[in-house]
Amino acid sequence: MSVHHESLLNHARSRWFWIALVLSIGAIVAYIWHSPGVPPNGGTWLGYTLGTIAALLIVWLMLFGLRKRSYRGGSASLRGWLSAHVYLGTSLILITLLHAGFQVGWNLHTFCLALMLIVIFSGFYGVYCYLRYPTLMTRNRESATRHAMLDEITELDQNALALADGISPKVHAVVLRSIQNTRLGGGVFAQLHARDDSDAALAGIKAALDEHERSFHASKAKSNQTIYAMVDFLASGTNDRHTDALRKLIDLISRKKSLATRVARDIQYQALMEIWLYIHVPLSFALLAALIGHIVSVFFYW
Amino acid sequence: MRWLIRRVLKQGKGAVSYEEDVHFGDQLSIGRAADQAIFIPDLRVALKHARVKITGPGRYRVDSLNLAGIRVNGELTYGLAVSAGSTIEIGSTRITLLDPPRDFEAAVEITTLDKTEQAAVHARRAKPTSLKETWLGKRLPSWLLFLGTLVLGLLIPAASHYSPVIARVITAAHLPGTTSWNPGPLDAAHRFFGDDCKRCHDTPFLQVRDRTCLSCHTQIAAHADPAKFNLPALGEARCASCHQDHHGLRGMVRTDQALCATCHTDLKTRTRNASQLADATDFGKNHPDFHINLPAWNDINVFAPQRTLLTPMVKETSGLKFNHVKHLKPDLNTPKGTRTLTCASCHTPDAGGLAMKPIQFETMCHECHTLGFDTFSPEREVPHAKVAEVGYMLDDYYARRALSGGYSDAGAPAVVQARRRPGDPPLSREQQIEALAWARNKARQVVDSIFTDRACITCHTVTPPTAETEWRIAPVRVAGIWFGEASFTHARHATMACGDCHQATTSETASDLLIPGIENCRQCHAGETGGSKVASTCIACHKYHQAEGLKLQSL
Repeated sequence: MSVHHESLLNHARSRWFWIALVLSIGAIVAYIWHSPGVPPNGGTWLGYTLGTIAALLIVWLMLFGLRKRSYRGGSASLRGWLSAHVYLGTSLILITLLHAGFQVGWNLHTFCLALMLIVIFSGFYGVYCYLRYPTLMTRNRESATRHAMLDEITELDQNALALADGISPKVHAVVLRSIQNTRLGGGVFAQLHARDDSDAALAGIKAALDEHERSFHASKAKSNQTIYAMVDFLASGTNDRHTDALRKLIDLISRKKSLATRVARDIQYQALMEIWLYIHVPLSFALLAALIGHIVSVFFYW
Repeated sequence: MRWLIRRVLKQGKGAVSYEEDVHFGDQLSIGRAADQAIFIPDLRVALKHARVKITGPGRYRVDSLNLAGIRVNGELTYGLAVSAGSTIEIGSTRITLLDPPRDFEAAVEITTLDKTEQAAVHARRAKPTSLKETWLGKRLPSWLLFLGTLVLGLLIPAASHYSPVIARVITAAHLPGTTSWNPGPLDAAHRFFGDDCKRCHDTPFLQVRDRTCLSCHTQIAAHADPAKFNLPALGEARCASCHQDHHGLRGMVRTDQALCATCHTDLKTRTRNASQLADATDFGKNHPDFHINLPAWNDINVFAPQRTLLTPMVKETSGLKFNHVKHLKPDLNTPKGTRTLTCASCHTPDAGGLAMKPIQFETMCHECHTLGFDTFSPEREVPHAKVAEVGYMLDDYYARRALSGGYSDAGAPAVVQARRRPGDPPLSREQQIEALAWARNKARQVVDSIFTDRACITCHTVTPPTAETEWRIAPVRVAGIWFGEASFTHARHATMACGDCHQATTSETASDLLIPGIENCRQCHAGETGGSKVASTCIACHKYHQAEGLKLQSL
């Protein structure tokens, strides 16, 4: 068993890195050795060979989408596939540039190349995400699952409601509203921005506490001049209890806020880790169509 | 106002019972306080949470009485007019507003949600927490992009190939037509029809045929006669084997050595001795010695150069006597003082730089080699290259000098020597005869001396006249183009000194061939992989379409 962690980049002793490297060096050597008598281009025998390799690679790389959905193989073998996907995909940049003899123009063929480069570079971002975000997610969750965190939030909500109910209907309403206003997840941009609205709730409770204390002091100040001073004095004990409860409530809501923030961050990490796929995958299909157009057009007018 | 309040009670295993109650009042209060018409003992409910008013038969208005608002038909609201069938959800309770039954103005049904129903409601209200649950998708964009690209990149251009109408529409709409398939800019010569792909690619999925090339290029010479040289490779060669367009302005001719070398090996065997050409695969390593066009003339005196292997023994018969060594010596004595000649004094390149201009006596030799004939009038000269005129001219000259007198040559008769003054009587008949006899003799002597002694003989082979013929000068016959099969141009070698190739400084006779052999070229030129030398492929010197009289189209 290997001591260090095996990632998609060093899977099986970086087997696919070496394979891609050999493929790339082979292509470079062939390109240098090859002297077609015309400027190097896709129409020489080496051009056709490299083009065929590249086209087969593209189709094979796209099959990764199917492989990902099939759960028959183990996760290790899926990691192997991903490793191959990344390294062979990267070697495509070189192979296609050699295939084209570094010639570009305003045409379908270069469009195909441009699409491919966008797909590959979005894939690089994906690799970056897969290497970076899982660690961040684990650290952010603190060995809880998102489900557990959500359950805890529900529990805190209920406790907060119970506590708020004991304070005053107004505070109860504030807490009720804060529960309703807690936003976790949402649209694409909400997910990517990691927003939860627990701050507003906390502010509401704090305002309630301030107001409560102000009114308490006000009533105390007034009490000296009224015949109900005694009643107020007696009631002050109750007020203190309310203040305590409010403080407890703030505690609860703060704990909820930190949890909600973590869940929102968790959602954000997941969204960031996936968002590039919404470019990578559709553009891969555009690339496939452009590739078909490229190949057919070449033989249409060859 | 009479409200019917019906509570739905679940009794396990799906059994349901109802409990009905009547409430009087113009509004229905909902909350956790004990005085509420609908009392819901749930912490998620405010003490006075909401109220429902009747606004008409089967029509209600729901108002929230707390900050959080109330969820009506799944939407949070603070006040909303609704009709029967609407639901209000508070905590785990669902209140459905109903059409009032007979004897009632309004009716509501109260259901307590069990855990599974609550979970379902919760799930329904939950916001998406992964991108998968949002409007973002991969499948639809993938299909759209795939089909869009396929249509724009393949189908529309293909359609425009088949239908000129579609092609016009596409051009007008600025959509990508077949030009978007153009893999690279055309050669300059083909630019003028560059957008019309069909001009060359007339049949889809078929390589460009030679006939489309030959429809314009009607005058292209063949490489060799395929009937004579029955080489399959020659017959299979297409125009496009060597001429590939779409590589920009660099020209569309293959220049690599393999183009020629693959056929020009073992040529004699492969053509069954039809070709006598020696094998040539690499100029530096495998190339026969040069053959030159040695000047020669056929029976009817037409220039018919002989293809001769260039060896040191080969001599040239130009009809001229010339000594390069003598002329290249420094400080030559000339009538105008000392001069040093260089090669360029006589050999100047022609306008194209390919060959040298012919040597001209008048501009190049005459300065030293004057054709004067009489010391008494050194400015007079005989014409060059006009043999017959020399005699007439000298006859004329001496006749006039004899008749006018004053010619102080000691050998001349008195009548010729005597200076004649104006008013002197004319010469007598006898004097005239004597003077003219002298003149004729003198002219003949001078002609002899010019042809055989002083002037002509210096450079030319002179044949004295016989009874039938006049003086004859051997014709000067300079080759012109020495390399018949290769194109050599002096212009490309302007950086070299003449002496680097032509050994003129040691040549003493005109018959020396100063044409350098292959070893001379190989000092600088090698084959395609030239290393430190000039990489020279076959078509650096040779051309492919070389047949004379045989046109490609006639094959």
